[in-house]
Amino acid sequence: MTAWIDGQAVERGTAVAAAASLLAEAHGPVIAGLCAEAAAVQAAYDLARAIGASLDPAAGAGLYADLGALASGGAMTTTPAEARGRADLVLVLGAAPWASGLPGDLAVEAPVRGRAAGQPRALLALGGPGDGGVRHVAYPAGEAGLPADIGLLRGLVAGRIAGPHPLADLASRLRGALYGVVVYDPSEIGALAAEMLNGLVKDLNEVTRCFALPLGDPHQGRAVTQVAAWSTGQGPRVGFGRGRPEHDPWRFDAARQAESGEIDAALWLASLPAPLPAWTRRVPTVALLGAPTGDEARVVIGVGVPGEAFGAALWHPRRAAIAWQEAARQEAPRQEAARGAGAPQPDVLPSAAAILADLQARLAAFPVSNPERSASC
Amino acid sequence: MSTLTLREAPERLDLAGLTPAALAGLSEAEAARLVVGTGRRGLTLGDCFALRLDGSDEVRIVGATDRLDRVGAGLSAGRIVVEGDVGQRLGAGMTGGTVTVSGSAGPFAGTAARGGTIRIAGDAGESAGGALHGAAAGLDGATLVIDGTAGDRLGDRMRAGLIVATAAGAHAGSRMIAGTIVADAIGDHPGYGMRRGTLVAARHGALLPTFVETGRQDLVVLKLLAKSLDALAPEAASLLRAPMRRYGGDLATLGKGELFTPAG
Repeated sequence: MTAWIDGQAVERGTAVAAAASLLAEAHGPVIAGLCAEAAAVQAAYDLARAIGASLDPAAGAGLYADLGALASGGAMTTTPAEARGRADLVLVLGAAPWASGLPGDLAVEAPVRGRAAGQPRALLALGGPGDGGVRHVAYPAGEAGLPADIGLLRGLVAGRIAGPHPLADLASRLRGALYGVVVYDPSEIGALAAEMLNGLVKDLNEVTRCFALPLGDPHQGRAVTQVAAWSTGQGPRVGFGRGRPEHDPWRFDAARQAESGEIDAALWLASLPAPLPAWTRRVPTVALLGAPTGDEARVVIGVGVPGEAFGAALWHPRRAAIAWQEAARQEAPRQEAARGAGAPQPDVLPSAAAILADLQARLAAFPVSNPERSASC
Repeated sequence: MSTLTLREAPERLDLAGLTPAALAGLSEAEAARLVVGTGRRGLTLGDCFALRLDGSDEVRIVGATDRLDRVGAGLSAGRIVVEGDVGQRLGAGMTGGTVTVSGSAGPFAGTAARGGTIRIAGDAGESAGGALHGAAAGLDGATLVIDGTAGDRLGDRMRAGLIVATAAGAHAGSRMIAGTIVADAIGDHPGYGMRRGTLVAARHGALLPTFVETGRQDLVVLKLLAKSLDALAPEAASLLRAPMRRYGGDLATLGKGELFTPAG
C-alpha cells in the first residue's frame, strides 16, 4: 500500500482527492521540503502559483546563509571537480566539510590542469577537528570562534593586521598559492561569516587566484535555488499569496509560519530523504514521500525515488550542477507507463511531479476564492 | 486624528503606504476597499479594521499585533501612533514624519529609512535598522529609538542615521557602512565586518580580535552628539559625556569604524 489518510491505508486516488480537498480549503498553504528531483520541484512551484501558497526548502537555513552573502556582496566560487583539477592549496574551514569526504580526495591528488599543474597540493585546516587519516596542516582556532577567525585571516591577508600572529603563516600561504580554494559549509559558519569569507576570497584575487567552495546541503537546496530562479526570478522562499512571487526569507520560513499559526495547510515534498519537521504533526499536512511509513502526516502518498525508480534531474554535488541521474533499475518502459497518478499498476509508484500535476488539475476544479487574483499571475 | 482599530488579523497584513497623506484623500468607504491582506483572500482594510478618518496628519492604529507588517513604510510627513505591537519592516523606506509604537516591533524596523523618527517603547526583533536580504543598506538617515532590547545585528549594514537602544544582542553594528549606534549594553562581537560608523556602548560582550584599542579619547563630536540627544534619549546623552576608550575596527574590512566605551 502506498497511500494513507490519518494512518489508515487507502487507495492512492482517494488520498490524492483528500489532499486536494485539504489544500483547497486552506487560506495560507505552504509547500515545504522540496527535497526532490527538479521536475517535482518545478511542479511544486507551479502548484504554489496556482493556489497562492508559499514555498520553503528543507535546506532553507543553510542555503540562505550563503544566498545572503551572495546577494550582498557577490561571490567567486568554484566546484569540487575544478578544485580537484586545479588547486595547489585547499583551506578547509570548520568541522562540517570533513564529513563530506572531499578533503580526503583532495589530499591524495595534485593539480593536473591550469597554472598550478604539476605542483604539489597543500591541504590546510582551520577550526576543524581534521581527519587523522588525511595528511593536512592544522591551524589553531581562536577562542572567539570561526567567524572571528575568518575576519582575522582577511585582515592579515590584506595587510591591515601586521606583526607575529598564529595565523600569519596561513595568510602568507594563501597569498602565495597559485590557485587557492576555501572549502566551507554555510550552515556551519553562518551568513555574516560567509560574506566575510567571500570578501577574503575577493581580496586574495587582487594578488592571485582563489575561490570559495561552499559545500552543498544534502537536501537538493541548490537545485531548488535554480528552479526557483528560472520559475520566479527570485530565491526559493517565495509566496504567491498575492498572485505574484514575493521573495521574503523571513516571512516564508515555514517553521516560523507554523510557529506563529500563519499556515493552515502544508504539503511536504520529500521524494528523497529529508528530516520531517515537527510542525507537520500540528499543521494539516499532505506528505509526498519516497520512503513513507504512513503515519507521517494527515495524508501520506508514496512516490517514486528519483534516480532509483526512474531517471531524474538531481543536484550533482561533485559537479555542483543539476545533472541527469539514470534509474537504478532497468524497468524504464514500465515506469514510463505508470507515471500518471492513480495508474493501474499498484506496485509501481508514480513520480512526485505526476502527483503534484494531478493535484493542480483537481484544485483547478475547486471554486476560486479570489477570482480577481488569477489575472495577475 | 484618524483611527484604525484592528478587529482581526487572520493573516499577515501589509500596511505599507497607509500614511496620513494617503488616507487624507480617501473617504472611509474608499479606504475600506484598500487591499492589505497578503494571502489569496485579498483581505481589505475594511475587512480587518474599524475605520474613522478625519483627514488629519495623524493616524492612530489601535489594537495592533505582530502580524502588521510595514507599518509606516513610505511615510514622508505626519505621525503614525501604534498602540500594540507591529510585525516586520516598521517604517521601511520612510523619508520623514514620526512613527511611535507602544509595544514591540518585529525584525528589520527602520530598514532603508532615509528620514524621520521611529520610536519603539518595547523591544525590537533582529536586524532593527538593518538591511533586508540583498539590500544595499539598512537604516539610511532616519532616527530609530528602541526603549527596550534590540535583537541580534542591530544596525546591520546601516548607511546613515542614528540608533539608540537600551540593549542589543550579538553583532550590533555588523557590516555598518556608516552612521551611529548608542546603547547601554551590546552583546558579543559588535561591529563584525563594519567599514565605518560609530558604536557607543556602556557595556559590551566579547570583542573581535580585529578591533584594536586606540587609547582614551576626549572628542568634541561626542559632546555634540550628547547635546543633540538630550531631548530624545537622556540616558544615551549622559553616556556620551563620560570619558571614553576607543577601539578601531573592523580590520577584517576597511577598519574605519570605531567602538567607544567608558574608560575605567
